[in-house]
Amino acid sequence: MGTYIARRLLLMIPTLLGITLLVFSLVALAPGGIGAGLQVSGGQMSDTSRVMQMQAYLEDRYGLNDPVIVQYGRWLAQISPLKFGPRFQRSPSGAWVRPPRDLPEPPLQGWFPAASQEAVANAGTAGLAAFDAMKAQDANDRHRALQRDSEASRRAYVGTVRATREALADWARANDRKDLLDAKGAADPARFEGMQAVPGSPSWDALAKAAEAMHVARLQAIERAAAERASFDAQPYPSIGLPLIPGTMWLGPPDLGVAFSRNRPVADLIAEALPVTLLLNLIAFPIIYLIAIPTGVLAAMKRGSWFDSASGAIFLMLWSVPTVLAGVLLIGFVANKQYLGLFPVSGLHDTQAENWTFLPGAGTRGWLMDMVWHVALPVTCLVYGGFAVLSKQCRAAMLDNLSADYVRTAKAKGVPRMEVVIRHVFRNSLLPLITMFVGIFPAMLGGSVIVERIFSVPGMGTLILQAIDLRDREIILANTFMIACVNLLALLLADILYAVADPRVSYE
Amino acid sequence: MRNGFGFKDLVMLALLLAVAVSVWLSMVQRDRQWELLQRVDARMAELEQRMQQLRVAPVLAAPAASAKAAPAARDESWARPGVKVEWQSEVALASDPAAQPGFAEGGEFTEIFEAQPAKLVPYISTDVYGTRVIESVCEGLISLDPKTLKMHGQLAGAWQVDPDGLWLRVQLRPEACFSDGSPVTAEDVRWTFKDFVLNPLIEAERSRSLMDNITDVKVIGERTVEFTFSKALFTNTLNAMGNPILSKRFYTQFEPSQINQATGVLFGSGPYALARCPKGPGDLAGQWTPGNDVVLVRNDRYWGPKSPLASRRFKSIKDDLARLVAFRNGEGSMVLPTSPQFNKIAKEEPDFAKRAFMMKWINMRCGYSFIAWQCGPRPNGKTPPFGDMRVRRAMTMLLDRERMIRDIWDGIGIVSKGPMNPESPGSNPAVKPLPFDPDGAKSLLAEAGWKDRDGDGTIENEKGEKFRFEYTYATGGEISEKLARFVKDSYAKAGIEVFTRPVDWSRYQDLLKTRDFDAITMGWSANSPESDPRQIFHSDSVKEGGDNFIQWKSAKVDDLIEQGRRTMDEATRMLVWQQFEAAIAEEQPYTFVRVAPWLRFVSRDFGNVITYRSGLQPEEFFRVGGGVVPTPAN
Repeated sequence: MGTYIARRLLLMIPTLLGITLLVFSLVALAPGGIGAGLQVSGGQMSDTSRVMQMQAYLEDRYGLNDPVIVQYGRWLAQISPLKFGPRFQRSPSGAWVRPPRDLPEPPLQGWFPAASQEAVANAGTAGLAAFDAMKAQDANDRHRALQRDSEASRRAYVGTVRATREALADWARANDRKDLLDAKGAADPARFEGMQAVPGSPSWDALAKAAEAMHVARLQAIERAAAERASFDAQPYPSIGLPLIPGTMWLGPPDLGVAFSRNRPVADLIAEALPVTLLLNLIAFPIIYLIAIPTGVLAAMKRGSWFDSASGAIFLMLWSVPTVLAGVLLIGFVANKQYLGLFPVSGLHDTQAENWTFLPGAGTRGWLMDMVWHVALPVTCLVYGGFAVLSKQCRAAMLDNLSADYVRTAKAKGVPRMEVVIRHVFRNSLLPLITMFVGIFPAMLGGSVIVERIFSVPGMGTLILQAIDLRDREIILANTFMIACVNLLALLLADILYAVADPRVSYE
Repeated sequence: MRNGFGFKDLVMLALLLAVAVSVWLSMVQRDRQWELLQRVDARMAELEQRMQQLRVAPVLAAPAASAKAAPAARDESWARPGVKVEWQSEVALASDPAAQPGFAEGGEFTEIFEAQPAKLVPYISTDVYGTRVIESVCEGLISLDPKTLKMHGQLAGAWQVDPDGLWLRVQLRPEACFSDGSPVTAEDVRWTFKDFVLNPLIEAERSRSLMDNITDVKVIGERTVEFTFSKALFTNTLNAMGNPILSKRFYTQFEPSQINQATGVLFGSGPYALARCPKGPGDLAGQWTPGNDVVLVRNDRYWGPKSPLASRRFKSIKDDLARLVAFRNGEGSMVLPTSPQFNKIAKEEPDFAKRAFMMKWINMRCGYSFIAWQCGPRPNGKTPPFGDMRVRRAMTMLLDRERMIRDIWDGIGIVSKGPMNPESPGSNPAVKPLPFDPDGAKSLLAEAGWKDRDGDGTIENEKGEKFRFEYTYATGGEISEKLARFVKDSYAKAGIEVFTRPVDWSRYQDLLKTRDFDAITMGWSANSPESDPRQIFHSDSVKEGGDNFIQWKSAKVDDLIEQGRRTMDEATRMLVWQQFEAAIAEEQPYTFVRVAPWLRFVSRDFGNVITYRSGLQPEEFFRVGGGVVPTPAN
């Protein structure tokens, strides 16, 4: 058994890699690409959004310009507990402080050669000198100031790179060289590398000016980054994680990343949404099981009776009502005060519930009852469609066993009927239910998009739907990763439970 | 006998579970009590601190009194000599709620939104819902008068504008203070711009990109601050003075990374304060997070005219029907109905108006929708025929926009006539939308060389090329589908072939940037009475992926835009914008389709609900007391 479990666990790693790679590529292939939702939202655009400036910044911030596979590698490195490079540090506020990122290379080195090694080295030395000059200051203030300067000059440099590319595109257009532009009308520096420079036109002068500004900005960015790096290396804060090979490899907490669309850690977003979804599902699933399974058992015992037909018909009828319709009907009639007005329309708590006692009393419903009252309609929506499949499965399994030889033998030797059904038939019928049972673990985390939308429940369904709308890669990936993990573990659990429930199954 | 799991065991297990659950529940309850105690404790500490401040400065109200001194005594020593000082009258509500029948203080006003703000941090939160909340908590140096849309000093008591538009000197009101009672100083203003918005570690890139024209903010005196600009532009004044001023004391408590990731760090000098605003970095766990209602409480130390409502709540309900039902059930005081809901209730429920104000009006925040015509080459080298002004005018005249509004938008909306908001003083009253005139359009097309030459029902040019184009629209809405069918039919009648091309909204940016469309439909939103038209209509914005995605060039419009941008005087500039609008209406680079009005239902439990040119002013609402039913205010 042990080796079997170990083998299954190890097999999960390539499966997870496959799943995340697939999802990553799908997000990257989606129209507009990763992060497309960042630039547009809603049905109208504002003419003041300065799309171009935003873009250069966002592309640099999230590395959206790199090939998809590089971005995927970066995501893996981020989520992996095994990390390379210097250990991160933790500032007093609890935020992780990372070493400065490498600067992108300037484009078009064939025409406008980058600064010499010496100039770069000089800039680096100047940065170190700047750090030395600040050494006496408080480490926290110093690092923050250097970080700020470094980030500002990096951003200026990235902006000038962008401007140079634009100037290049203008130059290509002015010289009627459309072949040098890519499908989006942007200049592709790679296509220019082998070409001869042709100075002496207004568009060339603009290009040369932009390239010069770029190189100046680059040197400054190198200098500032060197200062920040020196300050980081001086350990202004304690390091986090466990060192494996000092300076190159360490163990750290996996990082789910920061959501593009909200600029918040994905882990925080999930921590907010998950309890809500869990609450609903933890109420809904027991109700489904407690009603569907006894009904299925009874239906099997009284096969062909009115109870069997009626329960089957009603459950199938419920199952075929779309949730969207049911939700709208519940709101329109049950919640609406024009009709029944029995339940609230939205939210999980009354606005006053914070000030109430926990249990009913002191003239109020109490916090707990209030919550039950609020979740009643969404839970109804989650529950009603689940009866049919489960009770039919249970009924079929029971019937299979009821007609088995051992049941006849048991009856013949005089075992009471209930004893036969509960002790023998029901137990043996549980096997197919195990498969269904493990399916609820991933479903618990998934949340229902429709129910959450109709009843304005801020759960996982809402989170993932918004993330898909906005192409928020980090949320989508984190979610998929989490659900995939739970799913794989649940499947493993199912296989183990088989072995426990049925002595005939063995994995040795 | 076999020792199996019997009924007794089941009962025991159930009992055990019940005990465990009740222990857990009692622990939860204990936690709630503890939290309540903490809140009471914090409140006590705050009260104590206030008491102390009162003892130290017993004449807190004194500066407010001195501000009311006669204008003759105004001290202008802070100002640059030789430039006119624009003194501002006192801050007042646009309409006095206390003068209304049934006026009472207190009560809560609940707005039901469609979505929730992602975060409530000034400059970092840029969505429309977040902005609404932030506007009530933070104040800028100026605000717009709801009735006239003119700038009026809010935190600023007076200012001077450089006649050449390169600097701006502002004197803050002496009585202005943040909700903790500390005064708003020139250093707060400088810090807000230089160390918050322009700090690259703060992820306020969207707001920052609008401020690239501000070169410096200098503290001149305790309450005097001076902005300098790199270029003379009319937008400078609004960019410098229209944005919220933050408290340096409060925001410097947090690290930039904490501010970036915060969801509810919102603190300012406005009439309301965020209910769960953290007091400091240690308190961040208690901040507001999305998924909860946003609650604002009245700022009892507000330096200006106090608001009657004790608190305001912002709920979010995504589903259209649920939103309306929640309003009917009294779970909200204001809701945004959809157009069909508004119409249906107006027609079928005469009683509804007795319980709620049903409001529909055009204000400065109403954007317009349009069809844009590609005037330049597409990336595939083909140029659609819309470069000719006659063709563009004909395209507009072939569309019955009145009928579109009637049939597609249930009659809600007005025909748009140009890029200026109809409520803006820059809107030209002489400009009317082009009439629906298929015959006139056909003759214009014939003049441009497009007529039916081979009798097959479609029109051709001299070379025999048929007039056909691609109409691009965003998928996912019934309205846009209806619109596409209407457009196709309208042009088919004139012998023009339209290929509809539905695309996902997320691809729009790409299509616009690469100019890869013949005709595209979308809308521009509006947020202030005037915006800079350069980005959309100037020929310079054709290149570098600017928003002149139709590649339309007009020397006349370019001149007018440049002239308007450089005109510092508001009244003169509005005249330029009026000429600009006339020129656009003449040229029809867009077919302007519709201005969407605001639709609101507000419960009649509230009084002083007035529709302004700027929108609504919930700061002035009050909860009606004493059984009086308020009358519609306008």
